[in-house]
Amino acid sequence: MSRPRRDPRAERDNRTVESRGRTRLDFGRRETLPVSGRMRRDPWREWAASLAGETDGERKRYDRSQRQMNRAEAVRFARARETLDATDISPGQPALRVIDEPAFLVFAVVETAGGRLSRFDRQVLGAARLLADAGDGGGAVVAVAPESVEGLGEAGADRLLHLPRAATQRGRTAALKAAVDRLAPRHVLLAEEGDGADCARRLSVALGEPLFANVEHLTARQAVRAIRNRGAEIGLAPPRLMTLGEDRAKPYEAVPCEAREIEGGPATAPADPAILSVEIVPGDPAKLSLSETDFVVSAGNGVSDFAAFRDLAAAMKGTPGASRVVCDAGLMPRTAQVGASGTVLAADCYLALGISGAPQHLQGIAGCEHVIAVNTDLHAAMIERAGLAIVQDAQLVMPALLKLLQERET
Amino acid sequence: MKTVVLLSDARNPVSGRAQLSRLEAQAIGLAAELDESPQGLHVGPGEEGVSAGLGHGLCGLDVIEAPEGEDPLPALAAFLATSLKSDEPPALVLCGRRGEGGLDTGLVPYLLAEALGLPILADAVALRPGEASDTLVVDQAMAKGARRRVTIRLPAIVTVHPLAPPPLPFAFGRMRRGEIRRHAADVSEVPVDVDAGERPHRARPKLMRTAGTASGGANLHVGPDPEEAARLILAYLEDNGIRRYGQG
Ligand SMILES: Cc1cc2nc3c(=O)[nH]c(=O)nc-3n(C[C@H](O)[C@H](O)[C@H](O)COP(=O)(O)OP(=O)(O)OC[C@H]3O[C@@H](n4cnc5c(N)ncnc54)[C@H](O)[C@@H]3O)c2cc1C
Ligand SMILES: Nc1ncnc2c1ncn2[C@@H]1O[C@H](COP(=O)(O)O)[C@@H](O)[C@H]1O
Repeated sequence: MSRPRRDPRAERDNRTVESRGRTRLDFGRRETLPVSGRMRRDPWREWAASLAGETDGERKRYDRSQRQMNRAEAVRFARARETLDATDISPGQPALRVIDEPAFLVFAVVETAGGRLSRFDRQVLGAARLLADAGDGGGAVVAVAPESVEGLGEAGADRLLHLPRAATQRGRTAALKAAVDRLAPRHVLLAEEGDGADCARRLSVALGEPLFANVEHLTARQAVRAIRNRGAEIGLAPPRLMTLGEDRAKPYEAVPCEAREIEGGPATAPADPAILSVEIVPGDPAKLSLSETDFVVSAGNGVSDFAAFRDLAAAMKGTPGASRVVCDAGLMPRTAQVGASGTVLAADCYLALGISGAPQHLQGIAGCEHVIAVNTDLHAAMIERAGLAIVQDAQLVMPALLKLLQERET
Repeated sequence: MKTVVLLSDARNPVSGRAQLSRLEAQAIGLAAELDESPQGLHVGPGEEGVSAGLGHGLCGLDVIEAPEGEDPLPALAAFLATSLKSDEPPALVLCGRRGEGGLDTGLVPYLLAEALGLPILADAVALRPGEASDTLVVDQAMAKGARRRVTIRLPAIVTVHPLAPPPLPFAFGRMRRGEIRRHAADVSEVPVDVDAGERPHRARPKLMRTAGTASGGANLHVGPDPEEAARLILAYLEDNGIRRYGQG
């Protein structure tokens, strides 16, 4: 075998450091990467990163929200343990990833509703990135978007193909088909939701190619989808045309890509003669059910002025919710109860006013990506769970929010 | 307005028995509001599961007998093409957005629209006749409870979204009274499209949704002014694209 032989003595000498008048072994320093080339876990760093900000000498406080350690937080290692050399997690990485001559292209069709990338859009881009880096790599991800939005590069797009928003789905598909014919991508990925799902099927018919719909598991080597009403599944090498199920692929998180704009498709999309008029009717959050809405404004035992709370929920265009204590007291209807014995939310954002964050309540918001907590108690579990935590009286914050919203409206 | 609901060969995922798909039962409910005698159409080995559609509001059911697992498209297209040419043609064809028991790609309505040259519209939650005759107003479900109201010229194919109103209650008597017309399929001899690598389904957990990008240690504010707190909350909502205030 041609593995280099280890010399334990030399390694030991290498690690010996002089500290406080004694020779010691420094296990924090790592000279070489392990043979596998994979980054090694460093429990010390993970521990240090989980310390909450205000840790001082006497008392340690931990951040138990189980957030992934990000690069900004990693800087805190140095402070936690001075002797540890705090290198960046991936040293020597370039600031921008550029793929000049892509070996092949992968289309990721994103909706960018409201002029921003949604969570699902990021997942589609992440899946496309995975396919572009598959095998020998060298592929480029082309984000097909109706407008140029912020954060496309960070989400993993090497190129941006601008397809103007068409009035009808038929027009949109025609423009997309023209782009597919011109650039011949190896894969085309769409979201299995709403317009993306519709567009994928129209494209499949127009191209005469099969569609691998609602992918549940995607790796570089295979794509898996359920069939027979989830009784069976099929897995193939990733085919050309796929739609991705929600929350099935990880968004891309490494070095930003360049998202350079490339020549657009045809400027005008043909209209659909059968469609006479199109009109968007915005949803009314007050009438939506808790399980369907995307934003819940919720009150707990810390809220006493419920008239102001209802006004606030309406002004913030959120669906009102409540904790069990409030529903038991008859201050809010039972249908508004959030939690294990109420509704488990699918919302993106949750604003908790005066809610302590009992385990039964937290179960109901386990799926919420963004949580904002307003509570007078710094040590409440809800404050720990929140992405934005405000330690303040909810009775004072509610009128201030209402006033600010009224100012914005005028 | 004459309406046809396409009923697929739905299967229970555990027992494998034929059943009526809930989505198609909802489609029958939508059809019953437009047409007092909505009709069903099914291509498959028999009416075992789909006959429940009669109990949910269909008045008649056409069953084109074809071996299990065969591609239903040629038979569907041929049957609908003849009925479109008849003196009482259907104005609207309703489908589910995805089948529940076959390959479940949701492609059948689109391929049918292509074969018949009809326009297709996806994800309907409510249907209403338009002001002009031969038009239909379709409410499409979109994200965040929004609806897109599209007026479309008939005849057309429309697929139904799960947020459509729940199905009409089942009535056994209606099911017994409903008329089932059996037709023999033309021998199409389309090779059965069985994918080689079929295996039992394995449930895979979805990704966990964890705290958002803006969260981090610095996002704890102890005792800010109420005005400052309000500003922070609105800024957080707008940065994360949850809501935009002051823009209508
Ligand atoms: C079997 C079982 C099932 C349950 N299911 C559910 C469920 O589905 N949903 C649910 O919600 N609960 C459920 N519970 C109840 C749960 O355990 C808690 O009792 C409940 O969630 C607490 O509600 P709360 O946070 O509103 O009230 P509290 O625990 O009283 O908390 C009030 C919070 O408000 C803060 N506060 C006080 N005044 C102010 C102020 N002026 N401004 C700001 N903050 C203030 C306090 O610091 C405190 O943190 C269940 C319990 C059991 C046993
Ligand atoms: N064998 C069939 N007979 C009648 N309609 C069908 C059949 N298969 C599919 N459909 C229709 O097409 C829709 C989508 O099915 P699929 O493309 O198989 O996912 C179903 O909801 C039905 O409305």
